[in-house]
Amino acid sequence: MKASTTRRLKLAAAHCFLIGFIALILFPFLMVVAISFRKGNFALGALIPTGDDFSLEHWKYVLGIPYEEIMGDGTVRTVQATTPVLVWFWNSLKVASTASALIILLSGTAAYAFARMQFFAKTTLLKSLLILQVFPMVLALVALYALLQLIGTYVPALGLNTHPGLMLTYLGGIAIYIWMIKGYFDTIPVSIEESAKIDGATHFQAFVRILLPMSAPIFAVVFILSFISLISEYPVASVVLQTEDRWTLAVGAQSFLYEQNFLWGKFAATAVLSGLPITAMFLFCQKFLISGLTSGGVKE
Amino acid sequence: MSSVSLRSLEKLYPASGKNPPFHAVKGIDLEIHDGEFMVLVGPSGCGKSTTLRMIAGLEHISAGEIRIGDTVVNDLLPKDRGIAMVFQNYALYPHLTLFENMAFGLRLARTPKAEISRRVTEAARILGLEGILDRKPAALSGGQRQRVAVGRSIVRNPRVFLFDEPLSNLDAKMRVSMRSEISKLHARLKTTMIYVTHDQIEAMTMGDRICVMKDGRIMQVAAPLSLYHRPDNLYVAGFIGSPPMNLLRGRVERRDGTLLFIESAEADAVFIPLAGPLATLAASVEGRDVVFGIRPENISETPHPADSVRLTLPVELSEPMGSETNAYLKTGSGTLIARLHNEKRYAMGEPLAVHLNLGKAHLFDAATEQAIRP
Ligand SMILES: Nc1ncnc2c1ncn2[C@@H]1O[C@H](COP(=O)(O)OP(=O)(O)OP(=O)(O)O)[C@@H](O)[C@H]1O
Ligand SMILES: [Mg+2]
Repeated sequence: MKASTTRRLKLAAAHCFLIGFIALILFPFLMVVAISFRKGNFALGALIPTGDDFSLEHWKYVLGIPYEEIMGDGTVRTVQATTPVLVWFWNSLKVASTASALIILLSGTAAYAFARMQFFAKTTLLKSLLILQVFPMVLALVALYALLQLIGTYVPALGLNTHPGLMLTYLGGIAIYIWMIKGYFDTIPVSIEESAKIDGATHFQAFVRILLPMSAPIFAVVFILSFISLISEYPVASVVLQTEDRWTLAVGAQSFLYEQNFLWGKFAATAVLSGLPITAMFLFCQKFLISGLTSGGVKE
Repeated sequence: MSSVSLRSLEKLYPASGKNPPFHAVKGIDLEIHDGEFMVLVGPSGCGKSTTLRMIAGLEHISAGEIRIGDTVVNDLLPKDRGIAMVFQNYALYPHLTLFENMAFGLRLARTPKAEISRRVTEAARILGLEGILDRKPAALSGGQRQRVAVGRSIVRNPRVFLFDEPLSNLDAKMRVSMRSEISKLHARLKTTMIYVTHDQIEAMTMGDRICVMKDGRIMQVAAPLSLYHRPDNLYVAGFIGSPPMNLLRGRVERRDGTLLFIESAEADAVFIPLAGPLATLAASVEGRDVVFGIRPENISETPHPADSVRLTLPVELSEPMGSETNAYLKTGSGTLIARLHNEKRYAMGEPLAVHLNLGKAHLFDAATEQAIRP
C-alpha cells in the first residue's frame, strides 16, 4: 500500500470516529427538538415529524399563545396555557445571569487575594475551600432551607421563595471558580502590576485597570460555566422556590412530568427554550476567549 | 531631582511554607547624591533587587530608613515616592498600545490630554519609537520593549529613576547601544538614577559611583576608577576587573634584612622581594598571613620604571587576543595572569621572565580580608 493511501484511510477512520462521536451528542438533542414539534406527548417517533405528526402545539403552549385542540369527541376547543413558562424563562435568565455576575465579582476578588496577597493560613484556606466543595450542594439542602428561612425572618427579600435568596445559596458554590481564576492570575507576572503601582496606581487601580482586562478570557469561561450550571440547576431551586410564578425553567419543566402523565412534548419545548440563552451567552462570551492577551508584557 | 539616602536598611523575608526566614539586606548605609548615577553591583542573590524594591516601595522595609529628598518614604506608597522603575523583564502592559503604555501613569495623574500627547511623543522621539506607538508590546523586539519601559518612566518626570538589570535580556550588541542611550539620558535629564546590574562593564562605564554588594552588605562604595585602583577588600579586588586581579596567599617575612612576600605552597613557592611604599606597608604586617594582589596589566615583560620585581615562571597557557596576550603563569599554589602587549603564543611550560609593578600591587590581611593601608 502506498503511504498516501494509508494516510487517507487513517483520515477516513478518524472522520468516522469523530462523526460517530458528534452523533452521540447530537442525536439525543435532535430527539428532544423532534419531540417538541410532535403532536401529542410521545417520546418515540420519526426523527423529523411530518404531515399529521407535525404540530406547534407545544411551542404555542410554552410561549403562551392560544391554540386549538381537537378533543376526543371531535369538538374543537381553544387551549390557553395555564402555566407561565415565559415567566419561568425570565426567572431563569434573571437568576442565572445575576448570580453569575456576582460569582465573578466574588471569586475574582477572592482569587486576587489568594494569588497576590500574603495572609495567615492562606494555603490551608485555599485547600479547605476545595475540599468543602467536593460535597455536592444538595447535601446541604436542609441546611440551606433552614438558613434561608431564618434569614427571611429578618430580611424577607432574602428568604425562602425569593430569587435573591436562591442566588445567595448559589454564591456558596464558588470554590472551583476561585481556583480557576487564581490559576490564571498566577500565570500573569506580578511585575506588571508592580509597574502600574509605580506608575501611580493604587492597589485597586492596578487590579481593575491592568489585571482585569488581561484576565477577560478566564472571566468569560467562568461566566459561561456558572451560567450553564445555574440555568439547569434543579435540586436547590426546587426546594427554595415554592410558588409557580417564582419557578425557574428547570423547576417548571419538571412539573410537566406528572406521576401518571409525562407531558414529554411540553417538557421538550421547555428544555429547548432553556438552551437558547445558553447558546446566546456562549456566542456573546466567545469574543472574550482570545488567547495571547497576556503575551508581550514581559520577557519570558 | 532628589538625593536618596539609605540608613541602616534591613530586609528580613519572613519564613513562608518550608522556606526559613531570610536576611536579604543586612544594614545598608548609602548616600546617593542629587543627580548621581549610582550603580549597585554584586553577585546573584546579594540583595540588589531587594534594596531597589525597598526604595521603590514594592517591598516592606524591615528596619532602617529611606529618605528621598527630605522625606522619609518608609511608609509611602510607590506612587507617592516620585520614582520610576524599569524592570528586568520590561513589565509592559500587554493589553495596551505603546502610547497607552507610556501614557498610563499620566492618565492616572489626570494630566491634560494635550500634555500627555506632548510628553509621550517627546519620549518616543528620544527613544526612537515614533511610528510604532499604536502597536501592542507583543509586536515589538526585545530592545524596543525595553525602550518602551524606559519611555514609560521618563514621561512621568520622576525625581529618581530605578533600573533593575534593564539590559540583561538583550543581546550583546543591543546591550552596548542601550547602555550608551541610558548614559546619554542621564547626561540630559540629570536626574538621580539607581542602576542595578551584575555586569561589571555596565557598572564601570555608566556609574558615577559604584556600590559593590555581597550577601546583603556593602563591600565598598567608590567611583569606578578608585574602586579599580584602590579596592578596600579582597572581595572588591576579585570582583572588579576582567581578567580579575591576581591574588596570592602567603606571608610577609624578613630574610637577610629584606622583606619578602612568600607564597604559601607545597613547592615552587613564589618569593617576591618587597620595595618602595609596599615594603613600608608590609613592615606593619611582618610575620602575618596576607594576600598579595596585582592586576594582570601590571605584570609585563619589560621592567617598570620604579619598584619592579623580576620573576621567572613557567607558562601554563597563553591566549593571544590580537592587541594583547593573556599569559597564565604557574606559581606554587595557583596561577598569575599577565596581560602582555604582544601577539605571541607561548609554548606550554616555557619559562617566562616577567616584571611585577610593585607600585600597583596590593596587600590584604588574610584574616580580615581588608586592604592593608598606611
Ligand atoms: N520574597 C522572598 N522571600 C524570601 N526570600 C527572598 C524573596 N525575594 C528574594 N529573596 C532572597 O533574597 C536574596 C536577595 O534577592 P535579590 O533578588 O535582592 O537578589 P539580587 O541581588 O537582585 O540577585 P540577582 O542578580 O539574581 O537578581 C536572595 O537570596 C533571594 O533568594
Ligand atoms: Mg535582581
